Amino acid sequence: MSDKSKCFKKSYDVIVVGGALAGLASALTLAKKGHDVLVLEQHNLPGGVATSFVRGGVEIEGTLHEMMSIGPKEYPLKIRNFFDEMGVDIDWLRVPDAYRFVDDVSGVNVLIHPGTHGDMEIPAKEIADAVGDPDGKVYEKVLRLLNLCHTVYQSVNTLSVTHMSKAQMLLKHPEFVKTAGYSAKEVIDTFDLPQKAIDILCAYWIYVGNVIETLPFTIFAFLLGDYLGYGSYVPRKFSFEMPLKMAERATEMGVQIEYGQRVSKILVKNGHVEGVRLESGEEIASRYVVCSAYPNKAYTEMVEPQSEVPEGAIKFVNAKTLGLTCFSVVMLLDKDPAELNIKDYSTFYAPNGMDQKKIFEEIATPGPYNYITSICTNLANPEASPKGTCIYSITTLPRPEGWFGVTEENYEEMKKKNAEHFIDLESKRLGVNLRDHILELVIEAPPTISHYTGAFQGSVYGYMHTMDDHIVARLQMGEKENYIQGLSFAGAHQISGDGMGPAVTNGRKGAKIILDMMEEDKKEGK
Amino acid sequence: MKVKGFLKDVGGASRVTKRRQAAFDNASSVPNAADPIGAVAKALHPGFIDLKLIEIKSASKTAKTFVFEAPHLPYFKAGQFLTLVLQIGDSLVTRPYSISSAPYQTRGEHPTVEITVRKPKENGFVANYLYDNAKVGDTFKGEVGLGEFHYEPLRDARHVVALAGGSGITPFLSMAREIRHGKLDMFLTILFGSVSEDDIILRDELEACVCDKVRVVHVLSGDNPSWKGEKGFLSAELIKKYSSEDTTYFVCGPQVMYDFLAKELEKLRIPRRRIRFEVFGQARDITKFDGYPVEKKDEVYKLTVCMGIDEKEIPAKANEPIAVALERAGLKIHTACRSGACGFCRLKVLSGEFFVCPANDGRRHADIDFNYVHACSTYPLSDLKVRVNID
Repeated sequence: MSDKSKCFKKSYDVIVVGGALAGLASALTLAKKGHDVLVLEQHNLPGGVATSFVRGGVEIEGTLHEMMSIGPKEYPLKIRNFFDEMGVDIDWLRVPDAYRFVDDVSGVNVLIHPGTHGDMEIPAKEIADAVGDPDGKVYEKVLRLLNLCHTVYQSVNTLSVTHMSKAQMLLKHPEFVKTAGYSAKEVIDTFDLPQKAIDILCAYWIYVGNVIETLPFTIFAFLLGDYLGYGSYVPRKFSFEMPLKMAERATEMGVQIEYGQRVSKILVKNGHVEGVRLESGEEIASRYVVCSAYPNKAYTEMVEPQSEVPEGAIKFVNAKTLGLTCFSVVMLLDKDPAELNIKDYSTFYAPNGMDQKKIFEEIATPGPYNYITSICTNLANPEASPKGTCIYSITTLPRPEGWFGVTEENYEEMKKKNAEHFIDLESKRLGVNLRDHILELVIEAPPTISHYTGAFQGSVYGYMHTMDDHIVARLQMGEKENYIQGLSFAGAHQISGDGMGPAVTNGRKGAKIILDMMEEDKKEGK
Repeated sequence: MKVKGFLKDVGGASRVTKRRQAAFDNASSVPNAADPIGAVAKALHPGFIDLKLIEIKSASKTAKTFVFEAPHLPYFKAGQFLTLVLQIGDSLVTRPYSISSAPYQTRGEHPTVEITVRKPKENGFVANYLYDNAKVGDTFKGEVGLGEFHYEPLRDARHVVALAGGSGITPFLSMAREIRHGKLDMFLTILFGSVSEDDIILRDELEACVCDKVRVVHVLSGDNPSWKGEKGFLSAELIKKYSSEDTTYFVCGPQVMYDFLAKELEKLRIPRRRIRFEVFGQARDITKFDGYPVEKKDEVYKLTVCMGIDEKEIPAKANEPIAVALERAGLKIHTACRSGACGFCRLKVLSGEFFVCPANDGRRHADIDFNYVHACSTYPLSDLKVRVNID
């Protein structure tokens, strides 16, 4: 038995709770500034949901659909740049298509390709052609909308790292300023597009976890500007390549990373963080903690004593709507994709039509769900699995409340019912009975996510982007929302919200808040 | 709203900020930590729990069943295993055992879970300890409900033919019991190879499960003149006799049986997706594997173990996995499957040479690039420096 106190230093400049993408991005950022950082990860490997598993000797991607904000080498975007700046060398593979969108009710079935440097002509043309465009007017309108998205996207990227006055902002980023007060639907409606074109443009809505009626246009624009303007990427050695290489690099930079260490308490005294306590009882001192656990958990369970949690923090959490969780059927199939009629990397499928409102209600139930995304990893990475096999996943993103009725006893049945429905839907769409080809099958349900990451209510999406919790408002008010000095958050619950690209941005934000707090403390002589 | 209308609107940002502030002002100030999804996840995966040994039963002349009790046991899947942590002398070891009781027995007022262990013929260090020293009333740390060897209705055929040898029968008894109890919907034919009638373990327990969905066929390989049932090995011919048009084959038994059955099943041209082998644990003799440098097998190397900023030096034999060296030194390492598959015992090799058992190599591609290995299937071939998790 080891003496734990010998394994840790007496204290660290910063302790990062959680070694997933956000926590590791924090650790890298802080280490680069010369700080002595300890990362404590409860699992025995880094990455959280950015993971893979090995079944029957074959490694299978666990969760990643596509990374945003990477961009081609010649047009690098902010996440690629961050990795490059940190010396984290990811082997990026370009995803060939943006997505196929299939709607059995409207009859739309179209494959959309992205541009490479913010150019929107290709997707605009494909969307227009799919809905019929005899006089070229649909193309012109879709292009205008996508260009608006791209402009707003660029503004968000600039404004998230630059401070400027409102007047300056209006001068330099007028589209951003003028669309900020509106939902995606309100802005899209001004373009007077055919419904089918809107449906194709909105295929991604579930990736941001809210319907366009109440989704800020800024978020919608960010997503389309990025994905359709530049295309998406995946790491060659699955999503796990990212956290592993980040962890290795962080270690080189002097960060101590310890796995299998669950932090149960964040110790606070007189309004300032003092350290953490591990589940094993060991206490480790630090004046600063970056926490990957949800604020819901931190403010109601982890902060000790609870009397150090200000009322504002509780109201902050309670005002927010928890984002989506995940239900995924991940399979290793016993044929090459072509033999199974699988032609596209990514497909959004609405068998009952793209009625967002109805789908949004449905994902708040235990299922079965009728808006699904399927991904064939091999179509971005032909060597992802042995020849004669392919990795295929089918996913939807339910709201946590849909799974509140889950028990130990009904869990298997709930999983089976949904997974069966997914496999049947995809079998019908592909014209191939997938049930005859399953070598390995793993069902990831909300409790799986909860077990694996400890995420509050199994949510992977942080807080929902809504008009009442608008990204622009988040950016403006964020500074005042640090309720305990020395404590910041890094994860989907941070400002940028869900996604593996935003996870990195969220981690940097968590680090930035700590760096600012250190400055403040220094000024105040604490 | 007209296009021009909103393009003139410059007040959006302050409007959404006010809206957000109002939402905060109106929010409840009562803390709410309710997480029903997390509660189920915790119940299903409680991690290490205290297992109290409440009964030891005979399962045959050469096997015993150990019954454990705990206030809460997770609702595992029939076919899964549990691990037991045992302090034997200076060693702290963890071993996996397939669960022979059914998942339904974890419900009710007295949740129990059972394993059946065969008296080892030779150097079964841990099994011997359990066999000879464990007594009713003892409490062990253990993890219940691990492993991937279970029926999956969306993947497997409705009819499963179980090919079992020796104590490899245990996961199938668990399945049979769950089926008999009406909790698992599948058809199970168990072909159970033993040497002689005396040798058959859990015979009565298996008999008790026989119903329209469960069939048990004993196959004796020894010289048994009075035996009226199936004789010989689990041959292709015999397997075919008990198969239906669409059958999934589950195999669990000693390593020699795997090698034999792999060939027999190949003769039947069964699609790969219809055959599932349970992992068989640590390789009995690592020197038999291609690529292992036999000349090093008797070497004892220096293993430097880094735990956080602390360091220890321990000896490590070239013919034993790193996990065993750590256990012999009384260092706690979290292991489960002991077959290189689950990855619980993942650690980083900082320097030195090593050999990974090719039959038990479940590493991720990215892990291989950075010298992360699974301690239960990795053998030192020089002095080695490793980084392990702080226990």
